[in-house]
Amino acid sequence: MSAYLEPPDPTSELSRKAAIVGIGETDFAIDYRAEHQTGTQTDLASRVDSLMSLALDRALEDAGLHRRDIDGVYLMPEMVEPSQRSIKALGLAPTFVQYGGWLNHLGNAAALLAADRAKTVALIFAAPFRSAARVFGGTDWHGAARDSYYYYHPWRWSSQAAHWALMYQRYVSKHRVDPDDLGHVAVSLRRHAMLAENSIMTEPLTVDEYCSSRYIVQPLRRLDICLVNDGAVCVIMQHADVAKRGPHDPVFIAGWAYEAVRHSKLECMVKQLLQPLLAIAGSQALDMAGMSLGDIGHAALYDPSSIQLVNQLEGFGFVMPGEGLDFIKDGNIGLNGALPANTSGGMLSQSYMAGWNNLVEVVRQLRHEAGERQVPGVNASLFATSTTDTTNPYVLTRGDERG
Amino acid sequence: MAERRPDRVRGAEHDRFWSYCSSDELRLQRCATCRHLNWPPVSESCERCDARDLSWEALSGRAVLVSWCTFHQRYYDDDGDVPYDAIVVELEEGALFISNPLGFSMDMSAVDMPVSLAFIDAFDTAGPFRLPVFRQTV
Repeated sequence: MSAYLEPPDPTSELSRKAAIVGIGETDFAIDYRAEHQTGTQTDLASRVDSLMSLALDRALEDAGLHRRDIDGVYLMPEMVEPSQRSIKALGLAPTFVQYGGWLNHLGNAAALLAADRAKTVALIFAAPFRSAARVFGGTDWHGAARDSYYYYHPWRWSSQAAHWALMYQRYVSKHRVDPDDLGHVAVSLRRHAMLAENSIMTEPLTVDEYCSSRYIVQPLRRLDICLVNDGAVCVIMQHADVAKRGPHDPVFIAGWAYEAVRHSKLECMVKQLLQPLLAIAGSQALDMAGMSLGDIGHAALYDPSSIQLVNQLEGFGFVMPGEGLDFIKDGNIGLNGALPANTSGGMLSQSYMAGWNNLVEVVRQLRHEAGERQVPGVNASLFATSTTDTTNPYVLTRGDERG
Repeated sequence: MAERRPDRVRGAEHDRFWSYCSSDELRLQRCATCRHLNWPPVSESCERCDARDLSWEALSGRAVLVSWCTFHQRYYDDDGDVPYDAIVVELEEGALFISNPLGFSMDMSAVDMPVSLAFIDAFDTAGPFRLPVFRQTV
């Protein structure tokens, strides 16, 4: 599975050679309410096709491009097998197609464009999680090849949430923090979601309300775990030289890196809280971009659970280990904070699009088109997907000049 | 009384692990080349160095607590009740091991608390088995 999920090796020659010129997303909030009324669907393939088609339409419109302009496609639907049938249904006729994968393809697409193997690439992600009534645990859950997802059933240990729970309990014990302080992550992200036009959760939220929400896997509560919803996101990329002619300011792919646990997953996950993995990948991505942490004015960190956002703040080096919760409690990931993060509400409050929704927000921020949520003068963002055993950070920039 | 548990992973090396458990022995595969203790079982070679020289080492059963959690969400369709607890222990010989606590609760738990191996009767679709769990060391 590894090669399939990796971007190319980071190298400064590939820095800022490609840019995002178009973004499109489906109506997460409207669809979420409808899904709750209509229940689950069985025809996942047609559900996914229609979601992808809408996201593509919107990204093309945003970029001022047409279907005929797309000559490269990364097609990444979840829970259905991607196929030529979907490419045809989308009305595309690309010369390059890659099925499956994840945000590693942001780097792969950048390399493809840099090598002139395509001119205009569409990356399309779709997830019918709500329609499929996806449950992220139990004996049916074989979501990844890693042992931790299926091996411990005899001890009744399973689920994505249980991974994060073990990490957070370790964090609480190691750093002697008040477990309820994690509520400040959910509360901060909810504030952001309330200012985002396409957010599922827009009711105000307080730490007291967080503390009265039910546990999923203690010490984690319902509000520490991401949403489950349907949706699609499309991102269109072009070579940096072409991208400057588009209707919006292009957003450059300046740096990336990828690290994965190679053995002893529980050790790295529970005892080390992924810190060595994150530290290595974060500095590699910054090196490729020719930047340092101080240049980063915005972050979009993977937030399937609130604790993972804290792990990344610490692992990438924005704060020292054990200081993440205080940093957040003091308002530092808020819009006026030291490092505004997950400014559209993230996967906890906006939409669970496996990180793609967070990428769209990065583009809006770096275009300076985020409206009420705009972080003033932001020029560089650290965008990362980080699972229980991998991390794939990117540095995205507003301009193509080296920092 | 034996407890119903969700099914074990089966297959040659897994069955061997459980057959040791059936005689109340905890054995994991030690790599003779890099000394890494492999867990969960590997089929042919060490997960760390890929060497094929593995032997099933009998472990002391001494361990310390690393982390723990309490399931409130029901993920299994068996007759187990929620909430219930799970723990991660670090075995004296090296590996981290997910298990359940025997006779102690999460509010009694502390990082590095010494725990000791015990076995309880359990059964799944494949039949009865002995499940390794951990109690507080006295």
